Amino acid sequence: MSRRSEITNDTEASTNNQQTGTTGVSRRAYLAGAGAATMFATAGCAGSSGGTPTINIITWNDFAQDPVLESVEENVDATVEITSSTSSTEMFQQMNQSADFDIAVPNNNLVPRFLNAELIEPVNTDAVGNYGDIYQKFRDFVGEQFTQDGNAYGVPIRWGWYGYAYDTREVPDHEPSYNIMFEDDYVDTDLDGEVIMYDEAAKTMPVAALYLAAAEDDPSYREALTENDRMTFTEDQIQTMRDLLIDQKPSLQGYISSDTTFIQQFQQGNFLVGHSGRNEVIRLRENQGADWVEFVVPQEGAMAWYETAVVSQESDNPETAWEVVNEYIAPGTGAELARQGKSPSCNPNVADELEESEAELYGRIDPERFEQFIPFKDIDPDVQEPYNAAWEEVKA
Amino acid sequence: MAAPDRDETLRAALVSGLSRRRTSLGVTAGPGAIWIVLLLIAPLAFMTAVSFASIDNVTFNIIWEPTVNNYRDLVVGGTTEYSLGPLVYTATAFEKAVLLSYSIATVATVLCLTFAFPLAYVMARLDDRAFKIVIYLVLLPFFTMYLVRAYSWRLMFGQSGVLNQVLGAVGIGPIGAFEFGIPAVIVGLTHAYFPYMLITLYASLDGLDFSLIEAARDLGASRVDVIRDHIIPLTLPGIVGGSLFVFVPSVGAFITPQILGQGKVQMIGILIEQRAIGEATNAATASAASMAVVVSIVVAMFLVFRYVDLDELGGV
Amino acid sequence: MATETGEPAEQTGKEYADQFRNHQRIEQLLGNGLYAFAALMLVFLWLPLLIIVFLSFAQSPNLLPFDGLTLSNYQGIAGEPGLRSSVVSSFSIATFSAIIATTLGVLASFALTRYQFPFREVYRTFGIIPMIVPGVILGVGLRFYFLTVGINPSFLATVLTHSLYGLPFVLLIVSARLYTFDESLEEAARDLGADPLTTFRDVTFPVIAPAIGAGFLFAWVRSFEDYIRALFVSGINTDPLTQWMFGKITKASAENLNVLNAVSTLVVLAIAVALAIAMNYGNVTGYVAGTRDDADEE
Repeated sequence: MSRRSEITNDTEASTNNQQTGTTGVSRRAYLAGAGAATMFATAGCAGSSGGTPTINIITWNDFAQDPVLESVEENVDATVEITSSTSSTEMFQQMNQSADFDIAVPNNNLVPRFLNAELIEPVNTDAVGNYGDIYQKFRDFVGEQFTQDGNAYGVPIRWGWYGYAYDTREVPDHEPSYNIMFEDDYVDTDLDGEVIMYDEAAKTMPVAALYLAAAEDDPSYREALTENDRMTFTEDQIQTMRDLLIDQKPSLQGYISSDTTFIQQFQQGNFLVGHSGRNEVIRLRENQGADWVEFVVPQEGAMAWYETAVVSQESDNPETAWEVVNEYIAPGTGAELARQGKSPSCNPNVADELEESEAELYGRIDPERFEQFIPFKDIDPDVQEPYNAAWEEVKA
Repeated sequence: MAAPDRDETLRAALVSGLSRRRTSLGVTAGPGAIWIVLLLIAPLAFMTAVSFASIDNVTFNIIWEPTVNNYRDLVVGGTTEYSLGPLVYTATAFEKAVLLSYSIATVATVLCLTFAFPLAYVMARLDDRAFKIVIYLVLLPFFTMYLVRAYSWRLMFGQSGVLNQVLGAVGIGPIGAFEFGIPAVIVGLTHAYFPYMLITLYASLDGLDFSLIEAARDLGASRVDVIRDHIIPLTLPGIVGGSLFVFVPSVGAFITPQILGQGKVQMIGILIEQRAIGEATNAATASAASMAVVVSIVVAMFLVFRYVDLDELGGV
Repeated sequence: MATETGEPAEQTGKEYADQFRNHQRIEQLLGNGLYAFAALMLVFLWLPLLIIVFLSFAQSPNLLPFDGLTLSNYQGIAGEPGLRSSVVSSFSIATFSAIIATTLGVLASFALTRYQFPFREVYRTFGIIPMIVPGVILGVGLRFYFLTVGINPSFLATVLTHSLYGLPFVLLIVSARLYTFDESLEEAARDLGADPLTTFRDVTFPVIAPAIGAGFLFAWVRSFEDYIRALFVSGINTDPLTQWMFGKITKASAENLNVLNAVSTLVVLAIAVALAIAMNYGNVTGYVAGTRDDADEE
């Protein structure tokens, strides 16, 4: 909590007052004012050499860990205040409701929403010098999903993918495929009541789509995931996916959304096959020594996430904010972040700072493997209602 | 720093003010009324209004164009077929959630009533010393955080929970009924609201004249007769009140199904939470689902209060 | 059940005696059964709590295999990030909201018991509804409403919500006390020349003070233990104890459960002590349930 007491800077205090004073003013009108305040703030900082701006960030808990915070504050002249959040939607709502945050780090699928609501500003490429080092694939994703008038609006930080994990003591070697979740004779083990799915539509509906694309030999399910900046399923496809998941439900052990619950229950032997993120399994192997867990990428493909830093239009210190963002993909701080979340950085150079054993688990990846991965996306607003309803039906 | 005489004037004004019936009514009833209007009636009215509006998919802003779509979607477009003879009904997720919630709440209420009645009866007949000990044992769980009690059952249930571990150790092996799911939710709710039922029942049994019962037994009435003809009619307000205190919160339960359901028990509270702040955030559909629950509860209470007076429900 | 009436008249005394003894035995068995069942119910109430207490001293959060006892779970509490601030946050929310609820509730109780006014019954019903409305609905309704009138989910929003939630508990307990209060005492005081304020201070308040205290405690406890209403209105910067605990439950790693078991045990212990003290000093049972040992009070 000593961090809080460090924020005693006259410039900062005065801009903060301005900020709270304008809560009644409409958002539009306020933007102009914030712009002026920003000019004032940066000018003030440049003038007084001791001025350390405070950057407020709403993001995942990993960013709030001391090694990460210290590494950032060592390299950037800023005081970083982290508000932990557990969901990208929450980050959106917070930034939408108040002007308190300079940076948010939602998952990539939420970034278009920030962009459409005109909450964020384009990447300051001068301040984010490491941007050029990240994998080409992620720069392509940025181009497809949130670039407007040639300006990118977010910086990929870390990434990971969802496949499934299984207990090798009970489940024999097999060709990795989503069939294992939907077909009871796919492997020679009785998996009735032994399968866990992710308790979230955004994670589980794409699994149904990838399974159907292969099982029904209908590439349109896959194209709905890959071809546009949103998931563009038709209502018929959504219904088929829903029916598939409803049929699957009686043979499930349940739905789990939290990583730690997944790890705990997997270890206790509550289930044998679990739809999960890769970092959960690394945690399980690394911390609990569970060498009986195997994590695989199904042949149908895997959904990948990459968290993306965005900077608020209303930030008082956008330049410093982008410098902080840049630090998150710098080799040193990037390595700390990767360690905290057991997830690789989007900048391959970060791997140089990791121990060899760490780099094996969350270091570099051969760019060719990216072909297996499909980024998570938001649902197309046109079919959002049937999509939400379908998931409610699945869970009902 | 007011001078003494100013204090006196103020006091005199206050006294004369309070002596006027109108002013004192305003002072006593007013603040509560303001709170109720601003924090209970206005939000419910707002919720009603939002339930007839729609939400922008991108910004989450409310679009104020009257529509009944949110309500229509609660009941139209379901997938689960129920058939009763020639009648076939297709239920939506919402209808299934309501049905599930009402069924679970009914079972929990009946269990509470069956379990609590004998204990309440015993308590009413204990001498003061024993009573104090028992009431302490009952009140302690009652005052313990709801969350702690729900959590305690999370440790008990599950394939590797305490119950199955103990069963496994004595060789009976893990039992499916002790895994997370509907049975676990029912047990959790019964445990959570058991003290409400018990205390309400006790309040009505405490007023019971046991010499009447002794007399009836002496006159040869059987136990069943005594229970049917004397005890139940005399404690009916307690039974109805206690049932209400168990049933209503069970219908709207969130923590218990969330912690004990392993994602498979979608009660109405979970459905509303998902719509309000979850993945499918939509204030309008969340409001519509909430309103439907409010209406069903109001109807239930209306029926109940035709038979019992609010005063008789005890101080819980 | 066997009944003695209508038995044939030619039965011998011995048969009567046998029958009486049988009847006695059945009575006793039923009586014992009743007590056994009651005891079983107490076990049902207590078993899960006792298991938490036990596990809070265990090395592993699983009952089996049992790895031995330890106090390290309690030592772990001190270094737990966020725990101290959530306890502070829960205490402040509960205290502020209980003060508001008590003030409003006591005033409203006077209105209800001392004055006839239009819509009195409506007033009373609405005063009790916040206690009955399911938490999800109260929380969701207030969240949308607060957001629209410009109150973001926050400490303030939680205090307002809980002050409404606590109101019925104060209202029920204090108005019940005022109903049984002998108004002629007040009249006598006024006849002797005391003004309304003096009458209240010297006559009314001492009698209803325990009820006010009980109402305050109820409102406080309800706020302190509430999770669901706070979930919707507390926002991410306010983290009451219940939310901290819920986070530990859903992120159920072994370390988390160990700490959680210890914290839960401390909660149970704190309540046990508070309740024992309260029961020693006041008629807790009376406020919770009925009127037993009401005479203790005055």
